[in-house]
Amino acid sequence: MRHLWIVLMAAVAFGWAPLLAQEAVFEASVSRNPVSAGEQFELSFALTNAGIGGGKNLRTPDFSSFSILSGPNQSTSMQFINGSVSSSVTYSYVLQPKDVGKFTIAAASVEAGGKTLTTEPIVVEVIKGSLGTPKKQPTVANDLNVQIGENLFLKAVVDKVHVIRGEQINLTFKLYMRVSVQNYSIDQNPTLIGFWSEEAENPRNVSLTTETINGKQYRVGVIRRLALFPTQSGTLEISPMEVQTVVQVQDKRLYDPFESFFRDPFGRTVNYKVRSEPLRITVDPLPAGAPLSFKGAVGRLAMSAKVDKQTTKTNEPISLKVTIAGTGNIKVLESPPVEFPVDFESYSPKVAENISRQGDVISGNKTFEYLLIPRYPGNKTIKPIVFSYFDLDKREYVSLSSPQIDLVVEQVAPGVGGSLVAVASREGVQMLSQDIRFIKVAGVALSRRGEQSYASPLFIGMVLLPVVGLVGALLFVRRREGELRDVAGYRNKRALRVAREGLKKARQLLGSDDKTLLFYTEVSGAIWKYLGDKLGIQQAEMSVERALGQIQARGVNGGLAGSLQSLLEECEMAKFAPTSLEGAAKQKTYDEAERIIVELERVLRSK
Amino acid sequence: MRSALVIVGLHLFAQMFLWAQDPEEVFARANGFYQQNKFAEAREAYESLVRNGYESGALYYNLGNAWYRTGNVAQAILSYERGVRLAPNDDDLQHNLQLANLMTTDRIEPAPRLFVWDYWDGFKGAFSATTILWTTYVFFLLLFASLNLFVVGRSYAVRKSAVIFAGSAGLLFFFFLVVCVNRISDLARDDQAIVVTEIAIVKNSPDAKSTDAFVLHSGVKVQITDRVSEWVKIRLADGKVGWMEGSAAEVI
Repeated sequence: MRHLWIVLMAAVAFGWAPLLAQEAVFEASVSRNPVSAGEQFELSFALTNAGIGGGKNLRTPDFSSFSILSGPNQSTSMQFINGSVSSSVTYSYVLQPKDVGKFTIAAASVEAGGKTLTTEPIVVEVIKGSLGTPKKQPTVANDLNVQIGENLFLKAVVDKVHVIRGEQINLTFKLYMRVSVQNYSIDQNPTLIGFWSEEAENPRNVSLTTETINGKQYRVGVIRRLALFPTQSGTLEISPMEVQTVVQVQDKRLYDPFESFFRDPFGRTVNYKVRSEPLRITVDPLPAGAPLSFKGAVGRLAMSAKVDKQTTKTNEPISLKVTIAGTGNIKVLESPPVEFPVDFESYSPKVAENISRQGDVISGNKTFEYLLIPRYPGNKTIKPIVFSYFDLDKREYVSLSSPQIDLVVEQVAPGVGGSLVAVASREGVQMLSQDIRFIKVAGVALSRRGEQSYASPLFIGMVLLPVVGLVGALLFVRRREGELRDVAGYRNKRALRVAREGLKKARQLLGSDDKTLLFYTEVSGAIWKYLGDKLGIQQAEMSVERALGQIQARGVNGGLAGSLQSLLEECEMAKFAPTSLEGAAKQKTYDEAERIIVELERVLRSK
Repeated sequence: MRSALVIVGLHLFAQMFLWAQDPEEVFARANGFYQQNKFAEAREAYESLVRNGYESGALYYNLGNAWYRTGNVAQAILSYERGVRLAPNDDDLQHNLQLANLMTTDRIEPAPRLFVWDYWDGFKGAFSATTILWTTYVFFLLLFASLNLFVVGRSYAVRKSAVIFAGSAGLLFFFFLVVCVNRISDLARDDQAIVVTEIAIVKNSPDAKSTDAFVLHSGVKVQITDRVSEWVKIRLADGKVGWMEGSAAEVI
C-alpha cells in the first residue's frame, strides 16, 4: 500500500508523466559466486517495471541445498531517468550453503501485468576452504581485511611432520601480529582425530618474540602448545584452530571530518577472527617384530615392581606396585600382565599417573597398584613382570623385566584354614545347618578285602557244572541217535526186552482156555522175533533151519538148539491142533520158552 | 626321650593287643571311642581294621565320620567315597558325603548326563555285589537247564517250551551279567581320586615348569585318565583337564 502511495506521489510531483509500461523484467542474481563453504551470500529476485500492480504470486524455488538465514526480504526502489520512471521490487534471501559442490537455484516465477515471468536458473558453486573471512558485515569486513589482512594471522607449527606411531609431536599455535591485539580467545579447538593430546604448559601471559617474514617484522606470541601422540598410523590431519581477537585499528576514513571528530584518537577496536591452516602429519607404523608383551608404549621408559612386605599371613593383603616412568605416551600405557601365585586372590589394579608437562617432552610415571590376598600358607613367588616398549632413541623394541618376588605366607592360626570356609549354594545353606549322621553300630558285616566270591574255586566249579551237564546231555543224545541209525545193533540190544514183552503177553493168556491158539502164537512170535533181532534176519526170510544153523555157528550147543527146535515144532503143532493140549502143557511150554531165551541170550551176548 | 619310647612301645603293644582280637570287637571298641567323642582314637581303630584288610560300607562310613569330626574333610570324603563303592545306595553315606562336599572350597558343576544313567546306577546299587552275582548265577543255571531239556527232550512240545524258557532265561542272564560285571569293575576301578593336599596346582603338561591351568583344593573328586611318572592327568566333573602330581590325590 505504501508503495502505491509513493508511486502516486511521484506521479503528482512530476506531472502526469506517463507511467508508461516499459517491458517488465524478472531477474535472479547472487551476491557472490563461487561461494566458499559456510559463507553467507544473498540471493535476490528483482522485478523491474512491473507497473503499479507489482508482482503477484511469487513462487520461489526450493533452497534445500542451502539454509535460509533470512528472507524473503522485500525492498522497492524507483528511478527517474529523463522523465521516465522505472521501479523495481526485490525479494532477497540470505543463504548459506550446506555442502560443497555445484548447486542450481531453479527458476522463480511471478505474475506481473497479466504475464508470468520466470528467472533463469543460477548455478552456485560452493568451494571448500576459505575465500577470505566470512563477511557478516561485508563493508566493514572488507575494510578490515584491507587494514588487518596480512598484519595478523595464526600459524600452527609442528616440530615434526613425519613420525613413528606413539612418538611425540609438539604442536604450537603462534599468533603473528603487526597490529595491536588487545585480547584473544580460542573460538574453536582443533580436532585431533587419531592422536592422544596432552596440553603442554600454557603461560597465561604470552611473551612476545620477533620474527621477520617477507621483510615484515611481526611480534609473535605462542598462544597454545600441545603434545600429540599419534595412536594410529597413516596420514592424520590437524584441523584449524580459530581464534577470536580484539584488534585496535586506526580508522583511515578521514573524508568525514564530522565523524572523525568523535573518533577515538587511539583508533577503535574490532573483533577479528583468525584461523590456522590445517596440517598433515605422516605417521609410520611401528616396525614388525614386537615382543608379546608389547602393548603400544613408545618412548624411553623404566619399570620397577615392589611389594609392601615380603612376609605376610593368610588372608592379610599385600600390595604390589608396578611403576613405569620416563618419557613417552605415559597416559596410554597399559598394565603389564602380572602372573600371581595361583591361590592368591587378586583385584584389578588401582592406577595412578603423574604427568609432567614441563619442557618440550611429556614425562611422568604411571603406577599400577595390585591388592593381593593370599589364602593359603607357603612360599610363593610372583614371576618376573615383563614390560616392553619401543625405544625411540635406539629405534627398537626393549623388554624390561622385574626381578622375581619371593613371598612367605604364614598360617594365621592352625586349624582355622580357609579350606573349611564353605561357600555353599542355596540348597547347600539349608544342608549346612545339618550335621553328619551318626555312625553305624549294629548289623555290620566286615569282609576281607580282595576276597571275591566269583574268583573262588567253588564258584568256578559251580559255573562249570551246568556246562559239563550240557556237554554230557549232548554226548548222550548223540549216542542215542547213533544207535537209532544202527538198526541191527539196536535190534540186537533190544531183542531180549522185546522177547520178554511177547512172553509177558503169552503169560497173561495162560489162565484162559479159549485162547490157547493165541497163547502159542505169542510164544512162537516172541521166539521168532528174538531170533530175528538177535541174528539180524528179516522175519520173511526166517526159517527153522536157517535159525538153527546161525545160532549153532555162533556157538550154541546142540542140546539147546534141539530144545529150541522141539519147542518151535511144538508151537506149530499146537497152532494146528490146539484143543488137544492141557493147561499144564501150556505152562510147560511157557517155562521152556523162557528158559531157552535166557540160555540163548547168555550165549549170544557173550559173543 | 624315654617317655617317647614308652609311648611308641605302648602304641605297638596296643596294636598287637588289638590284633589279638576279633575284628568285630575292634569295630565295637572304635564305635565306643566315637560315642565318647574320642574321635582320634576311634579313627585310629577304624583305620587299623582297614589296614588289616577288612572293609565294608559301614566301616568306611564310620571312618569318614571320625575324619570329619577330627577336621579333615578331604579324608572324610575319601572314606565316604570308598564306602559308596561298597554300598552305593546307602542313604547315610550319601547324606554325609554330600555334606562333606559342601565343606570343600571348589564348586564343580558336573556336566549334565542322561537320566537313564541315573536309573542304571540306582538299579546297580540297589543290591549288594554278592546278591547280583548269585542272581546272575541262578539265571545261568536256568539257562543251562532249559538248554539241557531242549537237547534231551524228544517230543516237540517239550522242546518248544524249552526254547522259550532258555530264551527268557538267557536274556535275564545276559542283563544280570552286564550289571554284575559293571558292578564288580566299579569295585575294582582305580581311576578316581580325591585331592588330599590343601592346595593342588594343576598344570597344562606333566612338568613343574609348565603353565598353571587351574587350582584345586582338598576334597575334590577327580578322574585319573593318564599317568606319566609321578604325574597324573586328571579330568574334573565339569570337563576341565590338566596334570597334577600324583601325591596330591589319593585313589578311592
